Amino acid sequence: MRRWGLWLLVAVLAGVIALTFAWPQGMVAPGPVIAAHREIAGNCFACHAPLRGVSAQRCMACHKLNDIGVRTTKGLPVTSGGTQIAFHQALSEANCMACHSDHTGPLLLKSAQHRFAHALLRPDVRGQCAACHRAPATPFHAHAGSNCAACHSAKAWKPATFDHTRFFALSGPHQTACTTCHIGGNTRRYTCFGCHEHQPDQIRARHAEEGIQNIGNCVACHRSGSGEGAEGREGGVEGGRDD
Amino acid sequence: MPWPNLHPNRHLISRTSLLSREVMPFALMLLALIGAALAADAGLHLAGLVWIGRYLGIPGVLLILASSAYSLRKHKVISSGKPVTLLRLHERLAWAGSLLILVHAGIHFNAVLAWLAIAAMLINVASGLTGKYLMGPSRKRLVANRAQLLEAGLSDGALEDETYWDSLTYDLVKSWRVVHLPITLAFCVLALAHIASTVLFWGWF
Repeated sequence: MRRWGLWLLVAVLAGVIALTFAWPQGMVAPGPVIAAHREIAGNCFACHAPLRGVSAQRCMACHKLNDIGVRTTKGLPVTSGGTQIAFHQALSEANCMACHSDHTGPLLLKSAQHRFAHALLRPDVRGQCAACHRAPATPFHAHAGSNCAACHSAKAWKPATFDHTRFFALSGPHQTACTTCHIGGNTRRYTCFGCHEHQPDQIRARHAEEGIQNIGNCVACHRSGSGEGAEGREGGVEGGRDD
Repeated sequence: MPWPNLHPNRHLISRTSLLSREVMPFALMLLALIGAALAADAGLHLAGLVWIGRYLGIPGVLLILASSAYSLRKHKVISSGKPVTLLRLHERLAWAGSLLILVHAGIHFNAVLAWLAIAAMLINVASGLTGKYLMGPSRKRLVANRAQLLEAGLSDGALEDETYWDSLTYDLVKSWRVVHLPITLAFCVLALAHIASTVLFWGWF
């Protein structure tokens, strides 16, 4: 190769290296940064520490931990229609890269991203659902108490795993409105005498033949409409409570 | 006027032979490299092991570095090793190293610097295969053709006319082969810049 050709090559390579310093976001970065970080796209060291990769400390230099989900880095309140929950403060570890990647292009980085998981929360916060979630304003939830985990998993709010069969199988004519048994929507109490089929006098008379006096807590013996009474627990809680 | 001692279809025979003995193996080796890289990349995606590709650049570079023993021997930087053996190693290790680097690159166009390095590497592979499959045979064919035409009694001027296209092809192939070393230099610089930027920005500790 002629000498001028070699010099041309060296000049081109020197130009490429110079361009790497002048335009690192295109020459070196694995894809463009997110729109919100466009202003600092050319300053790799805003997020990367030399030889140490992305450092959570550098993220938190702008994103103050106590402000995440509450107000923006410019001090403006976060407005997201009330659906966002400020949970970053309760994370057990400050590892931003576990969920976030600033470079949106590469498939490899996308697949490495994880969504929020309750396991990332500090153990003392993990069981306090009400710290982040509000129960829906339904009659059922109004009396459901604070044991959300009885029906909901930490994986997703829906589907809920509430199974009425644990208390009483809703088969046949029992597939009816909740308020037929749970008067006023209070799911902590129930009555079987809300329909014509079960009238107190009639039920009392039938049970008297068996020597049964307490007819208030039906599910103590009857766990379905077809049962004869042996499938339930003997001597259950008095007074028709569901718990 | 046709020369009586020459086969009337000799150009056609020559071209068929050129295609099957030189151009086809050259193209197949290049296509095999690209095909193997695509297959390996698809395999990693299907198996959910794309992360492995991230690290294949390291063995790829090591294989290419090992293959450079032939170049060092050829330019008398080292004196040990049989050149023919080193040349075979150079061909195989550089092909395998290039394959690993292609898989490492994936089919994702992200950082420009890394893609310039890949382009330089592919040009280098093509120029190396040119040396292996095209240059030697085309020189031999040119010499043989000239000898045959001289034997047939052609004058110097007629000889020039008859071998014009063969000479031109040979010169082109030769110049393509000449870029092998400068492009290696380009590949080294670009790959080093890519490695340096990765070392600088990646979280190693």
